[in-house]
This record gives sequence, structure tokens and C-alpha cells, in this order.
Amino acid sequence: MDTNKLFDEYYEKSLMQGGTTCCPGCGGPLFWRMILDVLGPNTILYGGGPCAGCATRNIKLPKFGLHFSFVADAASGIVAALAAKGREDIIVVSGAGDGGTGDISFGKVSAAAERNENMIQICIDNEAYMNTGIQKSGLTPFGAWTTTTPLGKEANKKEIPMIVAQHKVPYVATSSVAYPRDLRAKVEKAKGIKGFRYIHNVMPCPTGWRFDPAKSIEVTKLMVDTWAWPLYEVENGVLKVNVKPKQRPVEDYLKSQNRFRHLTDKQIEWVQGNIDEKREMLLKNDGKKIII
Amino acid sequence: MSFTRMMEGNEAAAYGAMVSRAEVVPAYPITPQTELISHIATLIAEGKMRAEYIKVEGEHTAMAAACGASAAGARVFTASSSQGVAFMDEALWMPPGRRLPIVMCFVNRSIAPLGSLRPDHNDSLLQRDKGWIQLYCENSQEVLDTIIQAYKIAEDKNIYLPVAPCYDGYFVSATATVTTVPDQAEVDDFLPPYKHEMYNLMPEDYEGDSVSRRSIAESRYEVQKALDRAKTVIEEVDKDFGTKFGRSYDGFIEEYACDDAEAVLMTMGSMTGTAKDVIDEMQAQGKKIGLLKLRGFRPFPTEEIRELAKKYHAIGVVDRNSCLGSAGGGIVVQEVARALYPLDDRPKLMNFFVGLGGSDVTMRQIEYMAGKVLEAHESGKVKDEVDWVELRDLGPVM
Repeated sequence: MDTNKLFDEYYEKSLMQGGTTCCPGCGGPLFWRMILDVLGPNTILYGGGPCAGCATRNIKLPKFGLHFSFVADAASGIVAALAAKGREDIIVVSGAGDGGTGDISFGKVSAAAERNENMIQICIDNEAYMNTGIQKSGLTPFGAWTTTTPLGKEANKKEIPMIVAQHKVPYVATSSVAYPRDLRAKVEKAKGIKGFRYIHNVMPCPTGWRFDPAKSIEVTKLMVDTWAWPLYEVENGVLKVNVKPKQRPVEDYLKSQNRFRHLTDKQIEWVQGNIDEKREMLLKNDGKKIII
Repeated sequence: MSFTRMMEGNEAAAYGAMVSRAEVVPAYPITPQTELISHIATLIAEGKMRAEYIKVEGEHTAMAAACGASAAGARVFTASSSQGVAFMDEALWMPPGRRLPIVMCFVNRSIAPLGSLRPDHNDSLLQRDKGWIQLYCENSQEVLDTIIQAYKIAEDKNIYLPVAPCYDGYFVSATATVTTVPDQAEVDDFLPPYKHEMYNLMPEDYEGDSVSRRSIAESRYEVQKALDRAKTVIEEVDKDFGTKFGRSYDGFIEEYACDDAEAVLMTMGSMTGTAKDVIDEMQAQGKKIGLLKLRGFRPFPTEEIRELAKKYHAIGVVDRNSCLGSAGGGIVVQEVARALYPLDDRPKLMNFFVGLGGSDVTMRQIEYMAGKVLEAHESGKVKDEVDWVELRDLGPVM
């Protein structure tokens, strides 16, 4: 098999060309490449978030962006303009990081969900303000070191996908670049649905999580396999746990990154307890309606 | 068909957006803008106006959605006031630099603390440096006409800048005056459909970033140049509008009853109507005072002010805003002073603060201010460079 030829053919068709300015080991380029392969060229891209913006800089699609704190908002305007022009065949994809989605523009995401805007909203979650140099966000997990939580974060990570699901939007999913088949299937499904679709992807960040960039996929896979980041979807209010790996102890995941190195055995035990509870809840409700 | 009836400023603005065929309206309610957007919602619900109304959760989103819709090729209308404008501040930077021809009404209202729902001009004037074109309107008819003109100016391919028709809350927004809504076909003839030549977000036609990455200095300079060009365009559009519809507003500055005037008072917004009455009375008494109504504040009409300075020996600028700790006086007078500075022979310049927080600008106050300007002209001396008129006891209101 001529791999060079394979690559050339793929590259020719790819909507992402010309490289990125992401850190080594960043999951961003991988993520965008995978989802754009599914979405195709009839797409308008809005936003991306500062770090994720590094990945989207050379995307060969019509794109628009304002600034960090502008999440889902101008995308609503693009959706309205397309509706006014009878061009609802075009897919509007709006992206933002965890700080944009969960903190400063949380209200905007919630409002777009409430209005059921016809777009795919993506959260590219690397669990802190990485572009400004690793500061804690509402989506930083318990215990994680950041430059603003030098002793470890005291609060829990916000469960944004579940909160968005409670807006009664047609589709919500969590994803991971370590499970590409699951990710692609979810984007494919979202593509075929009208209304507000939300995909929340946790992205490995070697720079902020403090691990060897070569181990990005390994670390991300551990996150799913320990159930620290379970892969599920909520379609029309019904929960489905898509990936059910044999559970590994969370310690394996925590020990893979230096941001957790200060955690005591007792704290790790507490985290394990939380994860067990979450796993049990998810499996108990698998296939059931979870929207109240 | 055109029709004429009594109409509040907010209703006139809604009709202005309707006949301009705004296609997307992202808006968030705030007093005193509220009736404007509820009128639009009603016009859409009744099928009279065809537009997508995005009921956003805040003003920051309203302006962002406006940017997205405008970039995607829709004609966009929105409006806000006071705290809403302040909350929108970050987003208001975007349309000029992105060259998006959005039209947004500032329904003027003062800003907290000591929250008043009534108007002064601090909300819109604090947006003066971003590259928005600002036109201040005196009554319902002018609001409606200025919105139509605003799209024509904004979408001129040599301009591509956002335009803000500004009008005082209550005194204009909620005061009914005789207003004509022009015929749709005539407006269509005056204002062709919107097509942006720099932006195209449609996938089939997309050819990469049409608005290239520039340095901030280059981008700001381009906006400045567009604002300079807008001076001619604003005058021309107003003139063409007059030819077509029989109403025009003297472009940037209206000289009212200035034929024999040696000194002038300069006003902006709704107080102009009251001032016109007082000036008429004073002229009847043989006083050589006239009135300048400042309609276009951005771009600032520097050249016109310099021309006017040749005719009048004293100018009293009435500021309905606060500009605390400034070089002296309100926001408008400082612009006028800068315009006058290079002249060898400058008129006497005075400044008055009135109507802050929407308190009434009374006939007695206007007579007092006009008197002070005349006095400065006659004596050749300015007694108070800055006069907080509202804090003076001028006797009973008249």
C-alpha cells in the first residue's frame, strides 16, 4: 500500500489544510479533522475558542468569529440569516472552549438551547483556560492543579452536557478523540437532526495537564476507560451509554498526569467514589428518559 | 400605500425597520426601547413584516447575533438603551472593524447609578469612538426617515459601517407626532436589497477570508477613512431622500432662524423643538440669536463647524451628557472646541449642562442659555466657560 498516495488523496479532500498552531499532542486538530470529514463542505463554522481557534485557523470553510466571550450568539444570527434566505440546507457549527461554554457565555449557550437554534454547538473542553496559561475554569475537575488553583481545585466539574440536555434539545452527546468511531457516529447523527445539537468533547491537553505529548491518546482513552469521562448521548430525552468499557481504577488516570500528582490516597478514594456513583446512575438509566 | 397619522417615536422606528425590509432583528427589551421591539414583534406576527426575530437573552448576544446575520448576508436591525448599551459595549466594537452595515437605534436613556428611565445622551455618546455613524433625531418622522437613510449610508460600498439613529427616550420614543410612513415600493426604489461585496459566508461561493488580517492601526485607519467618506454620503443620501420623499434634514447641521443671528445656541435631540420656540420668541424681541441643531455627531462635522464659525461670534453648546473630569465641559463642546482650535479668529465658546437624567429642558433654561451667549458676544467676555444650568434656580418652570 502506498501510504504517501493515501495521504495525498486524503489531504486533497480534507477541509483542514496548511497546518495548525496547536501545541504538540493537542487533540484539537484531530478532533476537527474527524468531525469535518463527516460534516462536509456545506458548512459554516462560527467561533472555535482561542485554543481550538488554533486548530481551525486553516479550515477551508466559510467561517466567522468575534471573540472569546462570544459563544453561540453570532451563530444564532447566521442561522436566522440562512432562514431568512431559505438556505436551511447549510449546516451551522459553532464551537467554543470549556471556559466560554461553561463560564463566561454559559447563559448564551443556555439561551441558544432554549430557542432550539438550528445549529451544532460544540464544546472543546480541555478543562481549564489553557490559552491564557492554565487557569481554572468551571469545567476543571476536582483536585486539578492550575495556576489559579495551586493547591488543587476545590469544587467539582460542571456537568454541562446534562444541563444542556435538560433544555429539552433534540440531541446531546459526549465524545472523545480516543474513540473516533463513536465520535464520528455522533457527528453523523447530529448532522441529520434539526434544532439545537450539542456535542461535548474532552480534549487532551499535554501542556495544561502536564504529561508527555506522545501519550495524548493513551491518557484520553484512560479517561473514558476509568469512567471519568463516560461516553453517552441523550436523544429526545432518552439516555444511551454508547461505550461501556471494563472499568479501570481512576488512580490509573490521575497518575498519568502531573496536574493530579499532589492528590492524597484519601482524595483519590473520594474521586473514585464519585465516579462509581456516576457510572451506576448512568447504567441504571441507560435506555430511559432522563429529562424532567 | 403611504399613510399619515399620529405616531410615537418607537412605533415610527418599527415602521422604519419594516419599510427598510430588515430581515433579521435580534433584540432584548429595555425601557424605553421596549415598545419599538414589541411593535416589530407585532408587525411580524401580523405578517406585515417578514423578518427573523431572535429573542436573545441579553444585549451582548443581540449585537453578536446582529454581526453573524449581517456577515451571512441579511439586513439587520436592532435597538437598545442605557444599561443595555453599556452591557453591549464589547460587542459594539465588532461591526465597524468587521465592516458590517448594521442599523441600531439608540433610544437614549441615562445610565445608573441613581437610575432614571429618562433620557440623556451618555449611553450613545460613550459609543462615539468605535466607528459607528451617529445621527440624532428630533421627532418620530425624523426617526423613521433616518432609519431608511441609515441603511442607504451603511450599505454604500464605499462605507460599510454601522449606523445608529439616536433619539431621546420618552420625549421622542413615547411622544406622538404626525408621521408619514412612506409607500413600500418607493422605499424599495430608494433602498435596493442588501448585498455585501466584502463578505460572503455562503459555502458554494466562499473563497477564503474576504476580510484579511490587518494590524489594528490599519483597520482603524480604514474605518476612519470610511467615516471621512461618509460625510459626503450622509449629505447626498439626505438630499436624495428629500427629492424622493419631500423631507430632508440638512445633513449634519440644521441652521434654524439664523438669517440675522450673530450668536447661536447648539442643541442635539428632542430639546431642539423647545429651543426653536424660544429662539422664535427672542428673535421677535429683536435679539440676534439663532439655533444650530446638531444631527450628525459621528462623523463629526468639523468642516461645517469651521464654516459656521465665520458667521457667528459666539456659540453656546448645550450638552445633555456628563463628561466628568474632562478638559472642560461636556462631550459635544470638546468636539466643537477641537474643530475651532486651528482658526485664527475663533468665536466665543460656552458650554451648558442641562437635562441630565432626563430632567426637563425648560423654555426658561433655554432663554437663560441663549441670553448668556448673547451677553458673551456683546461684552466680548465669557463669564462661565462651563455652566451647570440645571443646578441654578431660574424661577418657576415655564
